[in-house]
Amino acid sequence: MLSIFESLRTLNMLSLAVRMCLSVVCGGIIGLERTYRRRPAGLRTHMLICLGACLTTMTNQFLCLYLHYYTDMARIGAQVIAGIGFIGAGTIIVTRHQRVKGLTTAAGLWACAIVGLALGAGFLEGGLTLTFLVMIAELLFTRVERMALRNSLELNLYLRYDDSAAMTRVLNFLKIHQIKLISLEITRPHEDEAHKATAIFLLRLNKQLHQAEFVRQLGEIEGVSSVDVLSC
Amino acid sequence: MIEALDYLREFTYPAVLLRLTLAMFFGGAMGMEGTRKGRAAGLRTYMLVCLGSALTVLLGQYEVEMMQSVWIPAGLEDPAKIDVTRFSAQVINGIGFLGAGTILVTQRQQVKGVTTAAGLWVSACVGLAVGAGFYECVVLAFLLVLVVVKLLPGVEDLIIENLRNMNLFVEYDKLEHTGLIVNRIRMLGAQIYEIEIDRDSIRDGKHPSAVFTLRLKRKMSHAHVLAHISSLECITSIEEI
Repeated sequence: MLSIFESLRTLNMLSLAVRMCLSVVCGGIIGLERTYRRRPAGLRTHMLICLGACLTTMTNQFLCLYLHYYTDMARIGAQVIAGIGFIGAGTIIVTRHQRVKGLTTAAGLWACAIVGLALGAGFLEGGLTLTFLVMIAELLFTRVERMALRNSLELNLYLRYDDSAAMTRVLNFLKIHQIKLISLEITRPHEDEAHKATAIFLLRLNKQLHQAEFVRQLGEIEGVSSVDVLSC
Repeated sequence: MIEALDYLREFTYPAVLLRLTLAMFFGGAMGMEGTRKGRAAGLRTYMLVCLGSALTVLLGQYEVEMMQSVWIPAGLEDPAKIDVTRFSAQVINGIGFLGAGTILVTQRQQVKGVTTAAGLWVSACVGLAVGAGFYECVVLAFLLVLVVVKLLPGVEDLIIENLRNMNLFVEYDKLEHTGLIVNRIRMLGAQIYEIEIDRDSIRDGKHPSAVFTLRLKRKMSHAHVLAHISSLECITSIEEI
């Protein structure tokens, strides 16, 4: 382990202050990215959770090392890991299109709690390294993820069309291009509503086929009035 | 076990760095498939979960090391007990909760997101093994997870596509129109095994809906069946479940 942190391994006023301040800073760094993207759990949430987690491991150390109680060094801190799992699950939402959102926020919040635990225990190398790696995951890999999504082979399409003849043409078009239809949901207008029939397709595209080009061609089929790509 | 790796199993900073980096890599690689399919949990989610769980094991090891080197000499007479796995055991719980948030029941009584939850949970378990420095196990587990996640969906799709049994959810205008739909299905040469009509929705002022269990003729595409039935005027919504 790194020797520069040697003086902070035991509990004293200095190590106490350093650990707590670092946990607020590290939580803030992780949370900043979320705030920046306007996600529900931002800067303050992450700071509070990181600080709270830091307090649990420190309190446990205090009980053992200073008050000399016979207890398990990790008992309080360990519950944080399950507890923040709960809070995280609360940030997950299900949208009207039956998509799950907020999972990355939940996972980030959870990782943030673990940074707090490590810092509180005096494992500063671990806490700081994890903060750094989480930053890389959030900043660098968001871009990688977006790129992968653009080349995604699965496509969710929202299509408005006139009549069943148009639908048959669309299905034939898919068959010609050898595109696999994973699921299809058709909704037809009620009598009192003026809008046309709609369908939601889940497709698996070919590797050769360009996504934007495919969507454009689909829109040009006779009887198809609009094609939208549903985001995930 | 491979003894050449024993050096990396010691609790030193380079080993910590290596394990965390490996956790990030393995987590990311397992999550890539989720990203490519546009799932709720992708690259970053898996990475964060895997990283976090790797650190919990390291944290347990750290406390044991400190107990032996710094804390006990610093005036701890009656040695407090310490369990290396106390922190990491909670990961299994915590990620279970997190995963439960991804599972949803649709209005059509389908359960979705279970595979995502299971995938996240497995990546947390892989993270635990990386954190412990159990490299041999991690590599093997990683390869197996990739096989399951990458190769098996194709097999599963192939099976479902060629199934002659099909479940249809249909929502339509009036209860009297059930006969029309049944006729339309017969025209396709499909057998109807079961019709389950949801009467509750009529009482609530909504359209009646029914779930049909069909057995199709050989080589009949499911999309064709959907398109054929949906051309009926009385149908407001149709979906395969």
